[in-house]
Amino acid sequence: MPRVTLETLPDYARYLITAAEEAATHYPAARTVRLPRLELIAHAAPGVLAEALGHAFVEAEADLAEPSTCRIFTVHPGIGGIPEPAQWGDAHFTEYGFAERLAGAGLRGHYFHDLDFWQVYDPERRIGVQLMTSPDAFPPWEPTAPLRAFLHWEYAARGMRLTHAGTLGANGKGVLLAGAGGAGKSGTVAAGLLNGLDSVGDDYVLIDLAGGVTARPLFSTLKQDPQGFARLGLKQRLGIESPLNWQGKHTFHIADIAPRPVPAALDIVALVVPHIGGGEMSSIVPVSRRDAMIALAPSGIMQMPGERESGFRFFGDLTRQLPSYRLSLGTHPEEIAGTLADFLTRVVS
Amino acid sequence: MTRDCDAYAVASRDIVFESFDGEAVVLNLANGKYFGFSDSGSTVWQALSSGVDARALIGLNAGGSTLGAAELEHFISQLLELGLLVPSETAAQPLPGELPAELAATSEPLHVSIHDDLADLIIVDPIHEVEEPLGWPAVKQAS
Repeated sequence: MPRVTLETLPDYARYLITAAEEAATHYPAARTVRLPRLELIAHAAPGVLAEALGHAFVEAEADLAEPSTCRIFTVHPGIGGIPEPAQWGDAHFTEYGFAERLAGAGLRGHYFHDLDFWQVYDPERRIGVQLMTSPDAFPPWEPTAPLRAFLHWEYAARGMRLTHAGTLGANGKGVLLAGAGGAGKSGTVAAGLLNGLDSVGDDYVLIDLAGGVTARPLFSTLKQDPQGFARLGLKQRLGIESPLNWQGKHTFHIADIAPRPVPAALDIVALVVPHIGGGEMSSIVPVSRRDAMIALAPSGIMQMPGERESGFRFFGDLTRQLPSYRLSLGTHPEEIAGTLADFLTRVVS
Repeated sequence: MTRDCDAYAVASRDIVFESFDGEAVVLNLANGKYFGFSDSGSTVWQALSSGVDARALIGLNAGGSTLGAAELEHFISQLLELGLLVPSETAAQPLPGELPAELAATSEPLHVSIHDDLADLIIVDPIHEVEEPLGWPAVKQAS
């Protein structure tokens, strides 16, 4: 089995892209997903990943801008011409060093050691490869937001950004809910959706800063831990015991609980940092932009491979464009949603 | 070796920072650690990171009191330990004319807080369960 080092990494990445393109006639099927300003063509063998490509996205309907196309090959050695994945050959590995080395060669990439799982992308040609040892040898988080890394690289190249935040809105205006895992983003989004508000996502949304802050949907999946699932009455609402994901959380889709179709975009009017308040009632008070930035940026930058500095600058620009608030979450979903709806009305007016 | 001045520079190109309403947020791109500064800390960081001689800051009003040598030395030693600054051998920059007034307008003492969200990453992506400066396969030790 070949071993790849930092020195040989760019050559290996280009080799994978060439091998995948040359094997193009061997792929069983391709799925086209229409996303904001992007047509994603994904080649995937039948299985969990291919199924995820069919239901994990919120597809864009009316997009005025002409989309460009990116093509991603999800491949394994069972496909003719596809090599066995290499292993990492240096004793030393850092995600940052790996990404910097590839960036110096005009490429992007990610490597997950446990599975010898490779993702490489050429942003200039908009072609990527996800190489796995077998069709199902992917990290457990992949089906929830499939090909997330490729979308991150492609949108970053256009000055947009996959942002680790939840969203809630009404009448086209919305707030961005920022914070690390456990801060209450997903529960707040679900509470809002169940009580008449809109959302374009509870985990990763696409942010564009051109002409104001705009959030667009990419992924349709929502998640709730069992306690939140019970508290929100989702078991009764959904009529099923939705499956638990690798984090032990229930997963379902925005459309399962949304009051209306997912909007194509929300104009973001405030950055809101939720936290579990401990009181019965919710409250919203201003917070410094410094604290809002620290709530927003770290997880969004560090959970994504590469593009760290551009992400830091992007989130800095985003934070400067919005007023920032801290939301102390009460205990009743209806009351939380009502507080946010009233807040939105005040901020917009 | 003694130095002719007490000037510093940003430790590497991996240290990046942004300022929000006068409050600085610093990120170490290499290990993902964030640093938030108090208002006086932000002003002093901006001065030190642009090469102002630290001795020029002593005795200025900051955070409601006079900035003492010991307090400043402690703050600088923190920034050195955190890998944000390194001593500079180049000529110090003059104290910007507006800086004393900006420092006098601050209300908090010198302070830098560390935000290490790697713990959150470990939940999301086990590849990050390493000590970044050491790299894989040096597995992050539970604290």
